[in-house]
Amino acid sequence: MMNPELATREVFWNIPHSLVWVMYLMFVASMAVAAYGIYRRVQIWRRGLSAKRFDRPLERLKLLLKHSAAQQRTVREKYAAIFHTFIYTGFIVLALATTVVAIEYDLGLPVMQGRFYLYFQSFIVDVFGVLVLIGVGIALYRRAIVKPRKLVYTDEATLILTAIFLMALTGFLVEGWRIGATDEVWGKWSPFGYLLAQASAAMLSRNAMRAAHFGAWWTHAVLVFGFIAWSPFTKMAHVVFAPLNIYTASLRPTGAALKNLDIEKAMESGAPLGVKSLAQFTWKDLADFDACTECGRCTGVCPAHTVGKELSPRDIILDLQKFMHANPRAAFGLPNGNSSNGNSANGGDQAASRKPQAASEALPIIGALAATSPAALWQCTTCGACMEACPVFIEQMPKIVDMRRFLVMEEADFPDTMADAVTSMETRGHPFKGTQSTRVDWTEGLQVQTMAEAKDAEVLFWVGCGGALIERNQKTVRATAQLLHKAGVKFAILGREEKCTGDPARRIGNEFLFEMLAKENTEKLNHYGVKKIITSCPHCFNTFRNEYPQYGGEYEVFHHSEYLAKLVDEGRLAPLEKNDKKITFHDPCYLGRHNGVFDAPRQLVQIAARNAPIEMAQSRENGFCCGGGGGMSFIDEPKDQRVNQERARQILATGADIVAVGCPFCTTMLEDGINARKGDRDVRVMDVAELLWQAVQDSTTNGANKN
Amino acid sequence: MPVNIIVCVKQILDPEIPSRDFRVDAEQREAVRGAANLVTNIFCENALETALQLKEKSGGKITVISYGADSTEDALRKALAMKADAAIHILNDGQAHPDPLSVAQVLAAAIRKLGEFDVVMLGRESGDWGVGQTAGLLAEELGVAAVAFVDKVEIGADGLQLKRQTDVGYERVAATMPLVISITNDEHNVPRIPKTRDVMMSFRQPLTKWTLEDLGVNAAEVRAGNHYYAVVDLFIPVQELNCEFVDGDTLEARVEKFAQRIIEVTGSM
Amino acid sequence: MNDVIISLFASAGYDRAAQGVAGAGRRLAADCGAQLHAVIIGAPDAAMKAAVAAVADAVTIADIGDYQTEICLSALTQICKTLAPQAVLLSNDFYSQELAPRLAHRLGGSAVADGLALNLVEGKVRVNRSVYGGKAMATIELQRSPAVVWLRARAFDPAPLRPEATTAIQPATLDLPTRVSTTIIERKVEAGDEARLEDAKVIVSGGRGLGSPEPFNELQKLANILGAQMAASRAACDAGWVPPSWQVGQTGKKVAPGLYLAVAIHGASQHLAGISDAKNIAAINIDKDAPIFKQCRFGIVEDYRKVVPLLIARLNALKK
Repeated sequence: MMNPELATREVFWNIPHSLVWVMYLMFVASMAVAAYGIYRRVQIWRRGLSAKRFDRPLERLKLLLKHSAAQQRTVREKYAAIFHTFIYTGFIVLALATTVVAIEYDLGLPVMQGRFYLYFQSFIVDVFGVLVLIGVGIALYRRAIVKPRKLVYTDEATLILTAIFLMALTGFLVEGWRIGATDEVWGKWSPFGYLLAQASAAMLSRNAMRAAHFGAWWTHAVLVFGFIAWSPFTKMAHVVFAPLNIYTASLRPTGAALKNLDIEKAMESGAPLGVKSLAQFTWKDLADFDACTECGRCTGVCPAHTVGKELSPRDIILDLQKFMHANPRAAFGLPNGNSSNGNSANGGDQAASRKPQAASEALPIIGALAATSPAALWQCTTCGACMEACPVFIEQMPKIVDMRRFLVMEEADFPDTMADAVTSMETRGHPFKGTQSTRVDWTEGLQVQTMAEAKDAEVLFWVGCGGALIERNQKTVRATAQLLHKAGVKFAILGREEKCTGDPARRIGNEFLFEMLAKENTEKLNHYGVKKIITSCPHCFNTFRNEYPQYGGEYEVFHHSEYLAKLVDEGRLAPLEKNDKKITFHDPCYLGRHNGVFDAPRQLVQIAARNAPIEMAQSRENGFCCGGGGGMSFIDEPKDQRVNQERARQILATGADIVAVGCPFCTTMLEDGINARKGDRDVRVMDVAELLWQAVQDSTTNGANKN
Repeated sequence: MPVNIIVCVKQILDPEIPSRDFRVDAEQREAVRGAANLVTNIFCENALETALQLKEKSGGKITVISYGADSTEDALRKALAMKADAAIHILNDGQAHPDPLSVAQVLAAAIRKLGEFDVVMLGRESGDWGVGQTAGLLAEELGVAAVAFVDKVEIGADGLQLKRQTDVGYERVAATMPLVISITNDEHNVPRIPKTRDVMMSFRQPLTKWTLEDLGVNAAEVRAGNHYYAVVDLFIPVQELNCEFVDGDTLEARVEKFAQRIIEVTGSM
Repeated sequence: MNDVIISLFASAGYDRAAQGVAGAGRRLAADCGAQLHAVIIGAPDAAMKAAVAAVADAVTIADIGDYQTEICLSALTQICKTLAPQAVLLSNDFYSQELAPRLAHRLGGSAVADGLALNLVEGKVRVNRSVYGGKAMATIELQRSPAVVWLRARAFDPAPLRPEATTAIQPATLDLPTRVSTTIIERKVEAGDEARLEDAKVIVSGGRGLGSPEPFNELQKLANILGAQMAASRAACDAGWVPPSWQVGQTGKKVAPGLYLAVAIHGASQHLAGISDAKNIAAINIDKDAPIFKQCRFGIVEDYRKVVPLLIARLNALKK
């Protein structure tokens, strides 16, 4: 045996020195083209409005490591977990190997030597090369045979996979024929290359292999450099843009994803309210379009899409991406063919610096693109499943709301029943047109004080319109109040002074109305010196937690499940009776996914029930919307396309007798959905507060307190 | 042919106030506002919508007039946001619920003060007192013809082509101007939602304010607002909202009672 | 002088509404110690002429052809001016509603709409009417004479017959305008049989609790007996059991019948919003906690499958 410490190989073996420069030329050229491709895209992003996305670098770096390096989201899907990991890690290893070669040859540092050469440069590289081939094979199999509905089937995608396959294959041919032609003593350290060499030797002479190597080497070089040059013009751009997009992702909970809009300023400058053209998006929105890998996960998890509606978040992103590149200037209201880039954005306020008439001339997007038809935009429940699913952290939902804002505030063009809800919020401070209830009906027979009456309330119970005005939910808020009483919590309500937090208005797109309600509510809460708020509505919860601080409303906010769980922990509420029904828990989007509260409501179910709760397949971060968010509970969905019925189907499939919820909208949406689908089964929807209230009463008082 | 349109609107207590929140002041013989809001009467909004649609086809001008308390300004701003051209607020500093003749006299005086007009549109009735007379009385005060319960207004050969709802179907009416019409609701005149930009702009638009003295009406009589009729009593009827669950020893006996109660209420109609 | 005039349209005949107006007129006339004078607009058939002559003290017939607002208004004004009545009562038909305020203005009187009760207090007519969408009742005193009131006519008892029919029947002498600025050029009667749900006097409505489309056939039988129209909750319409046009509720039709019989309807607030103007609501429901009962005047807690057949039998028997 030879000494492994001396193992190495000759760089540019079989390539005449006189031709090496051609390779370098190709390298430089491909890099230049690739750089141009990236530059071109970045230049377009700079036409967007400002967005602060380079703050808190340490947190961003952490995100980058988790989701770019470790690909925590990418691997959530079983196919991608394999093929993307194989290709991605293969690319990294092969790129490292190339770097090693460059260090060895170009810098003249002897690194490609000895055991490192054998273990890494030969063995590991060879193995990862094989993984790339397998990965591409799986990906092709998925596209050609499995054909998931969420994918888009483009020639580009096929071509990319083919190109990767050919690059890897020619790489192996180069390796194999080199081993074969030189009878390389360390050849076995590259098992796959060695196999190829052995197989070739059976058919080819050494000289023939040498000639074939020459051809394969150049083919490989052309493929690789061609691929590098082409990549930034395809979805392969995600190699660069995905990490960038992850680094610049929002660091706030998705419940805080909607952008602030300075209506007064827009009025003064004449800029459209909401997004009319690409010119009203931020640079980050534009970068989002380019980061899309067409994986289709957003559309795959979209509840509206699942029930067969038109809405497809992926197509919105892709349509806008194509639109942006087809009209890189006109889409922003810039004169065409002008070389001067008078709009370079350097974090300043673009709305102000851009000439108003330019913005108004920009090509409108809503309705001009198939995916952004108003019909589709009015199907979004703002559940945020798309954002949670996206491996590159694209923010699809806020863009939909941005476009809704334009439709609502500039065009007054939105569904009639939503308009009724908006008008009702304007005039009555709640969205439930036609309700027969008052805000205090539910307190009948309970000693509930209002903030105006109570002198020593330590916490405000924010009831919410859905809790106070929808008869079904009055049971929930009643149970909550009774539990608070029982635990001796000194609380008060606002009663008739309470008004909608503005969540539906904001998500429907009426930012103007939201702002009015937000100012009015925060003023009132601050007037009463409120510090702590309990609410049984996750929508109110989200608004208080993520949206009111900017209006001077800083409160410690608890969802009632969190507060009640705390009371149980402190021993102030003691469950006496356990429910022996099978119970599953449905995560409200605005509690769970948007704000990360998953455990408190489950804890309450655990306390109230004898049996362990059943977890649904789509739960926690992957919870499936009840269909009621984003103003959608004020829309009559087509009979065969109801999100609540799809969720009901999932719930019924668990075999549970009770589905526990923590949101007034979920309660009514799911009750409707389940009633429509349950047939003869007895399946009930119960708020966690109702469950707990049942549990803390002993059987003697059980009947008396039943509402 | 541009049409000079006047739309009269009224601000009322939100008719959607839940029954349990509804109170009356027996002394003042008025509803107590309480926590409820004031809104533009829906039929008045139907009238404004009809006017806007007419103007979109014919061109012309829409002037909105309202006789009411200070808060009426909100209703007029909303009308401006819906794109009425001008708004006139006649301040009612007298009786909160003046009789319809007083209202018609005020509106007629204001319209005369404005000068020429082609058509005046009003809601068929208001969602509070449901008086349903203002259009008719205004036509008489102005000495012009009137058509009631119109749900569609189009430009005709020689004036306007109106469609109106009747008890059994509909009628088409050919009418020459000037004219007063009362508007009822229909799927085609659902009031538009104003654009947010227009709502904000409406706060910057001028609003003409007139007092009764500006109009040359008998201000004392109009302020008292009861020379046509007077409300002498206003009360909330006692409702036995407690459901009577029919009882009986057998199902047959209970159904018998149920049937009798049905006959009672249907027979008394 | 000081007579009470009732204004009737020949085209409607002496129907229940006309009978109510006549009844109200007769009682008011008795209070005033005056005569009841009927004015018939149009050409009444023999039956109507006889029926009106049997209840009114005098009858004037104004045969002015098909209704034209300005001509009819002119005719009525002339007749009333001649008779100088204390009150003019009209029915709640569409034309009467159009005429009443203008007639009052031309006569120098006062009008009021939708009267539910009439009284004479110290020589002035007082009218009770429902206001604020039925949430309150008001008593209105008419300050000028004559009092011109259109009535919720079917709410009044019919007039008693005179000992013998009056012979004082005469045509009106009128000087009518020849040129008017409004002309009704088309009259269209829509779906004669299918009255609008919104106008229905009795409604039988079914909900999700029925479980399938078939029970609606039973409900139809019930509706036939009651002369009722059929309706349904959103759930039943959505399930495709009945046409969407039957839907009552916030997103469906708003109805105001004298009786709304809700069968197996739970009573979601969206549904209740559509029936808040119903005068009487009754329900058949198996769940005594169903919110519908909170709106009911009377109800029965039982499976509709047991109740409906028995109810059909009982109502059939009671009707006979």
